[in-house]
Amino acid sequence: MTEPYLAFDGVTKRFGALDVVGQPFDLTIARNDFIVFLGPSGCGKTTLMRMVGGLDTPTGGDIRLEGVPVGGPDHRRGMVFQSYSSFPWLTVAENVLFGMRYRTDLTEQQKRARRDHYLDLVGLYEFSDAYPNKVSGGMRQRVAIARTLAAGSEVLLMDEPFGALDAQRREKLQVELRGIQRRDTKTVVFVTHDVEEAVFLADRVIVFSKRPARLVADIDVTAQLGAERPLELRDSPEFFRLRNGVLKLLREAAGDDE
Amino acid sequence: MSEAPPTGIAGKSAPAPRQPSRRTSLWAFRGALTRRTQAAVGFGTSMLLLLVWEAAARAGLVNATFLPSPVAVLNAMLLMVQKQNLLWHAGVSTLRVWTAFALAAAMAVPVGILMSSYRVVGAALEPIIDFIRYLPVPALVPLSIIWFGVGESTKLYLLWLGTFFQLVLLVADDMRRVPQEYVEIAYTLGARTPQVLRDVAFRAMLPGLVDNLRITLGWCWTYLIIAEIVAADSGIGFVIWTARRYMKTPEVMAGVVVIGIIGLVTDQLLRAAHRRAFRYL
Repeated sequence: MTEPYLAFDGVTKRFGALDVVGQPFDLTIARNDFIVFLGPSGCGKTTLMRMVGGLDTPTGGDIRLEGVPVGGPDHRRGMVFQSYSSFPWLTVAENVLFGMRYRTDLTEQQKRARRDHYLDLVGLYEFSDAYPNKVSGGMRQRVAIARTLAAGSEVLLMDEPFGALDAQRREKLQVELRGIQRRDTKTVVFVTHDVEEAVFLADRVIVFSKRPARLVADIDVTAQLGAERPLELRDSPEFFRLRNGVLKLLREAAGDDE
Repeated sequence: MSEAPPTGIAGKSAPAPRQPSRRTSLWAFRGALTRRTQAAVGFGTSMLLLLVWEAAARAGLVNATFLPSPVAVLNAMLLMVQKQNLLWHAGVSTLRVWTAFALAAAMAVPVGILMSSYRVVGAALEPIIDFIRYLPVPALVPLSIIWFGVGESTKLYLLWLGTFFQLVLLVADDMRRVPQEYVEIAYTLGARTPQVLRDVAFRAMLPGLVDNLRITLGWCWTYLIIAEIVAADSGIGFVIWTARRYMKTPEVMAGVVVIGIIGLVTDQLLRAAHRRAFRYL
């Protein structure tokens, strides 16, 4: 039996008296899969993702990356947050370069080359010298994605990264992110409570119950919609059917208390 | 203006729609003003106050011994510059303020940062600092004279006392307000704690810190006068106190005005520096 790429093995989490993940949580994630954690707000899905990043520690069980239990954070597992995702005192290009600040294995020349490559990849090259407050919210999220990729992250951990964007920018970034993930072959763990976003982006959608988080469903989206996700896919009947199915699951998971 | 204001009880008659005009834009509730308009309004109001004051003094409405006219104060100031070394005294006071302030800042910044970075440091120091912070500086003058005599160190000590304990809590607050996201981003890029502090947390708090330093510097002047009145033979506080003894009201006011001018100029310079340094805000 081969070791899975990323594995949650009997993970539980308590914050004081609060059970965030009550029952031991098991999940294995294949390399280069796009995984979306979907669940009601405050259900504990973010905590599970943060534990992959080493920003929270499991109370019980462990999380293994290529067989090695994850300890503290490092550059192989990068975070993209919804807000405060880029540093306001650095320009767009400096933000991307900052991603490699603590990489001692790269020369300055290599760092600059990677910076330019990833700025280009997210379409921000011409905004290199702008400060984040001068670009749109969508561009700030692209800065964060480019910075994380430039740092050399193999696993991208994204905490509702498009949550604060308007619908149009959000769609555009979803298409781009899916494209980047396919081309750059990265493993992504993406947290959201938006069903449409989840189905559009994911290879696999993991649906969680309300807190304490429990796995409700594990849906193989790629088996039903394929790996290519053009924008038009959103208008197809298959997409609708799957979206409605997931929405129903989520409603049941959230319960009637809202 | 010729229209009568609507007098009907609410609901009976709707007020007439307002005509947009320059006047209403100046008085728009929570509206914006251009920089130039703000400066003009500020300058105009100050001039108006001076004019009213001057007129009141010339008309003999106020006793000149108690409230000399602005022109008399200005004359006194010019005379003091020529005969009493007013500028030298102002320089001495400024130097005292900056020395004590630099000392307080150099200590408050690291301590404040540590208090917010490590809860245990904060828990240990907060009660002590909060206690001392509430002690009025004048109440500590006798004690500081017993400790330090009446030399330069007493004045520096009093100024330091008045600013350090205020500043340290402000610095701690600046650090506390640094978004956790910035810190966590740095960690997931492979930074270690000292690097997170230096490259991210400190940079993120810097604009707020500089603002708080500017405000605290102003407080320093309050304590300076207390220190110079109690025990000094130089400085603006000394000049004011000496003039008071002979009831030279214009000179007393001239001294006060000099402090005001130094404060205003310093504050504006620091604000301008802030705008330049933190253009990204």
